[in-house]
Amino acid sequence: MNLQQVANPRPASNGHGRRRVERENVSKQELKSVSGKTKPSRLTNAGAPAGSKTGGYESPSRERLVYLTTCLIGHRVEVQAADGSLFSGIFHATNAVEDFGIVLKMAHSIRIGSPQGQMSIVDNIGKGPSKTLIIPAKELVQITATGVSVTRDGFTNDLQHVKQQDIMLDSSISQSRHGEAERQLERWVPDEDNPQCPELENIFDGNWNRGWDQFKANAALFGVKSTFDEELYTTKLERGPQTRELEREALRIAKEIEGEETQDLHLAEERGVQLDENFDIDEETRFSSVFRGVDDSGYYEDDEVLLDSQNTETFGGASSSVISKSFANLTSGKSDDGDQVSSCSSLKDEVQGSVSSTMRDLNKSDSSDHSRQLLSESLSKNAASNCDSRIQENQFSEQLGINYLTEFVEKKTLAEVAQKTKSEDLQSSLRTMKDGADIGGHSMNATLYASTSLGSSKGQEKTSSPGELKDNVTPAKPQGAATQSARSRGRPGSASSTSERGGAATTSSGPGLSPSSSVGSLSSEKSTLNPHAKEFKLNPNAKSFIPSQTPLRPASPVADGSFYFPTNVAAVPHMHGVPVGIGVGPSFAHQPVVYNPQMAPMQSPQAYFHPNGPQYGQQMILGHPRQVLYMPTYPPEMPYKGRDF
Amino acid sequence: MDANSFGGEEFAVGCILSIKTTLGDEFDGQIITFDRPSNILVLQEGIKSVSGPRRNIRLLKANYIKEFSYLGQAEDPLNSKKCYLDLSALQAREESAIRQAEIEAERLGVGVTPVAQSIFDALSKTLPVRWDKTAIVVMNEVRVSSPYLPESVAGGTPAANERVRKVLELERKRLQSRGGSQ
Repeated sequence: MNLQQVANPRPASNGHGRRRVERENVSKQELKSVSGKTKPSRLTNAGAPAGSKTGGYESPSRERLVYLTTCLIGHRVEVQAADGSLFSGIFHATNAVEDFGIVLKMAHSIRIGSPQGQMSIVDNIGKGPSKTLIIPAKELVQITATGVSVTRDGFTNDLQHVKQQDIMLDSSISQSRHGEAERQLERWVPDEDNPQCPELENIFDGNWNRGWDQFKANAALFGVKSTFDEELYTTKLERGPQTRELEREALRIAKEIEGEETQDLHLAEERGVQLDENFDIDEETRFSSVFRGVDDSGYYEDDEVLLDSQNTETFGGASSSVISKSFANLTSGKSDDGDQVSSCSSLKDEVQGSVSSTMRDLNKSDSSDHSRQLLSESLSKNAASNCDSRIQENQFSEQLGINYLTEFVEKKTLAEVAQKTKSEDLQSSLRTMKDGADIGGHSMNATLYASTSLGSSKGQEKTSSPGELKDNVTPAKPQGAATQSARSRGRPGSASSTSERGGAATTSSGPGLSPSSSVGSLSSEKSTLNPHAKEFKLNPNAKSFIPSQTPLRPASPVADGSFYFPTNVAAVPHMHGVPVGIGVGPSFAHQPVVYNPQMAPMQSPQAYFHPNGPQYGQQMILGHPRQVLYMPTYPPEMPYKGRDF
Repeated sequence: MDANSFGGEEFAVGCILSIKTTLGDEFDGQIITFDRPSNILVLQEGIKSVSGPRRNIRLLKANYIKEFSYLGQAEDPLNSKKCYLDLSALQAREESAIRQAEIEAERLGVGVTPVAQSIFDALSKTLPVRWDKTAIVVMNEVRVSSPYLPESVAGGTPAANERVRKVLELERKRLQSRGGSQ
């Protein structure tokens, strides 16, 4: 326990300079005493070495040696002995005063050297690891250690690593903040016990590229040509001169957000904030449960005024980065419809009331990696929207699922919308308002439906939304000021591609996004709508749509006798004089069938192929003499083919 | 521990050497430091020093150097400004490492044949096992003693016994096929 001042020479010989004061250490000087206690060394100033006991030890090289051996403490090392034996153990101590014999803990021999010379180390072969192994300096040949952290960064890593070893949190593995750029990846090798999968070696051999292109193989084998276009599913990445800047900006914002303090436990954990160990919080609370007390992304009413003023200066230029940032915030986990709606509107100078929401989100959003990705993605990927005037806004809106409607802003309906927690109401009100707005630009439609669809599908893949938007935009263009309901239903009809995406069909066509689970999740979250938002003013021109379960057309005479035939019925043999219809069971929700018993018998009923929705097997009903009126249940998403009733 | 005969200049910090030891090891490394009194040369492996926080370190007694050649000179691999020791962290690390090692040590049977050990390892993948001298105790109920054949399974409820027996047979088969294919 005598503490030699090993580390002291101050004259900056060899350019090593002063050691830092933090460098305590040096207690590992006792061979025998394996106490883990350490005592800080006393770093004296220059001039002291002469009087110290450590006569020959003042060289900086000795310092370094001691420093490095200290770094090894607790590390698994391999020690080679003079007789060739190799031991592996945890480095515990070294005699830094004298000759640097070392002490290992939990050591076991890897290789036994030939028993010549002194074999003082021996005989724990087959006895399992020895608790303590002492290797005198005379026997010591070399010590090797891999992955030793030598500098401060390494130590921080270690510390955290050790702390978190019990529970290997994903955040500790994946966080890049922990310093290491990459983990050392080891190639996976199958268990030795399973020799049955030899083919794995071949396919995945080599580097990532593998030399095997699945698309080429498919084309060669089956003649299948891939028509995958990434831009169908996500916003187009515009790589221009702006990209770098935008990326940087996004990164900056992301860092800013992530660096924010938060009261939310989960957020804090994600951001790497170490929780005080003394807190008696069980695992569930810490890692999994949803905390309902404080909502970081919500509104803070008292900040409204302040935020308003901030808002103008922030959003004066409506810089893209800021916009995206707010959007990104909104799409983060806790935001809901109200947030989105109001935040988007805030970007318009006209709206005052709901501005606060955006700002709040900006300041207190519980952004996650998700939002960060969105940020960078949104910034770099700009959707190739067809909308001319609103391209910029549309891009962001569709990427981030924000309802970005100038009409809304003008009408100050946003607040009202924001207050509706039910997505159904949201949809209907949106539609109503949009209607009366008499769309100035097609973009309005696009954004409207984009927003509705996006609002509902927020939980879904982001990539789906731009696609929807595109589809929505195209049919929206040629439209006049038809009724809102007509439009809503007409769109999915025209866009055949929407049939594949159930989400699109549902959202664009009607209120009540019941099929969309994400919407359900949205509405189920705590409502943080802005109570101060502007009041909703009904647009008298809007056609109100009331979703109902009753059929829209109760047995009214149909002049041209349209029939809806399922697409999978090639020919419908019809008998003269007998109205032919395809009976629809109540299970078939998508097919509106009009069966008009009063209609005069048709010679050739026209077939309307219902392009939307999956076509179920039909019960073909022919030759029904009696009057049958089919009243299919109309699901909210029933596409309406533009009929006025 | 004879006084080493190497000139200090050759062992300057940052030098890159290729070294052969008397015991047959060969490696390259960059000198971090050389301490004359103890005759220990500290090297950092890899010529392009992995200048992340983690390095491969080798401490070599200089008198075991059979021959070496000078490969080049690079700058000091150890940045003095960044050197920092957190003793509590080191201790914590050591403790956790020891704990780990102890846990692993328990898995090793003392005085058992390698075959037995591999059976133990295989069983432990799906069943809780521990050693009791040279017998494998499964689920604290069933004992498998040498020669670790399905017949040597004893104890426990019939169901447990059966299960262990089955697993043991399977493992045996696997070991055999693996041993044979090798």
